[in-house]
Amino acid sequence: MPAEPDVTRELKEILSRYSGASSDLIPILQEAQEKFGYLPEEVMQRVARFLRLTDNMVYGVSTFYAQFSFTPTGRNKITVCRGTACHVRGGARILKEIERRLGIKPGETTEDMEYTLETVACIGACALAPTMKIGNETYGQMTTMKAAEVLGAKEKAS
Amino acid sequence: MAEITATINGRQVKAKEGMTILEAALESGIDIPTLCHRPELVPIGACRICVVEVEGSRTLVGSCHTPIAGGMVIHTHSDKVLATRRMIIELLLASHCGSCYMCDKANICELRKIAADLEVGLPRFQMRKNYYALEDISPYIVRDLTKCIMCRRCARACREVAGHNVFGIAYRGFDTKVVVDFDQPIDKEVCRDCGVCISFCPTGALGKPREAKEEKRGKPLIITS
Ligand code: SF4
Ligand code: SF4
Ligand code: FES
Ligand code: FES
Repeated sequence: MPAEPDVTRELKEILSRYSGASSDLIPILQEAQEKFGYLPEEVMQRVARFLRLTDNMVYGVSTFYAQFSFTPTGRNKITVCRGTACHVRGGARILKEIERRLGIKPGETTEDMEYTLETVACIGACALAPTMKIGNETYGQMTTMKAAEVLGAKEKAS
Repeated sequence: MAEITATINGRQVKAKEGMTILEAALESGIDIPTLCHRPELVPIGACRICVVEVEGSRTLVGSCHTPIAGGMVIHTHSDKVLATRRMIIELLLASHCGSCYMCDKANICELRKIAADLEVGLPRFQMRKNYYALEDISPYIVRDLTKCIMCRRCARACREVAGHNVFGIAYRGFDTKVVVDFDQPIDKEVCRDCGVCISFCPTGALGKPREAKEEKRGKPLIITS
């Protein structure tokens, strides 16, 4: 586990760029998620105080969106599509293969904090089904072989 | 305020502009069931049990939050409306724990009462139940979210009536849940014993800790037919 990030200083820097209107909530949370890799409780508390919202309001908004996480995530986020088009074209096999290679299930993070595995209900590139993403990069027409290759290439690059 | 005339169940009724269909119906002695709505709260139209048919409208409309308009022709108990209400109750009960027999609020539970009124028995659907741990560490309040129907009356009453903000709504879809702070069990630090939310909860999800030997509240609901 990495050390708890020093949220005080880094969050101050983020907050300094906002006026404190309640519509700033999501942009702030996005920046914090980007910076810390997840939203520690302390961050949500400080954001709530900054925007004069209650803790439960901030928690409600952040848990509504799949883009925020509440436990530390790995350096690479792998998102495998479980949408209809991808399912029909073998998405489940891709997921199985990645689960097997990384030894984790969706929602989990590898022990070395390298990968977090997630599923989505459609990446929005059905023509390329089955699809997956690593970070912001999308991979289409996946096969179990290709999945293994992509992971292997990542491993070497890092 | 201007007066308007509309037709409810074939009868001409007078209402004031700005009234909801529900208010106008109640005023002319027509009962429409409600679950998420209370007159003290701002309507949010969450549960849909109060739907009515308005001629010319593509869909059924929620009467608790739809303003009545002059010339509207409304049916509050048509077959379509009743079938829809039954379906809603069936779906609510399908994910409900179904432990009325053991429930402290069984005699005053609005969900159970409406189910009885609409003659909904065993739901046809088998659904995953949302079981949550019982929250009974506060001396003032017991929360059993397994029985929660997400009407949000507690959260709104806390905010709109009691002037606090103890509850929030978190997660989404089937996982949606009324939470305290960052989803902590409710304790006496966050909530004093004003008890407002308890009286607003239509089900057994919120209650006062029951003293030993204390009777259940309300009269037993005896269903005869
Ligand atoms: S809350 Fe109502 S429906 Fe649910 S178990 Fe209690 S009495 Fe029954
Ligand atoms: S706890 Fe009671 S009042 Fe609150 S949302 Fe659930 S059922 Fe409604
Ligand atoms: S279903 Fe996978 S991208 Fe649309
Ligand atoms: S009572 Fe009208 S939608 Fe719930």
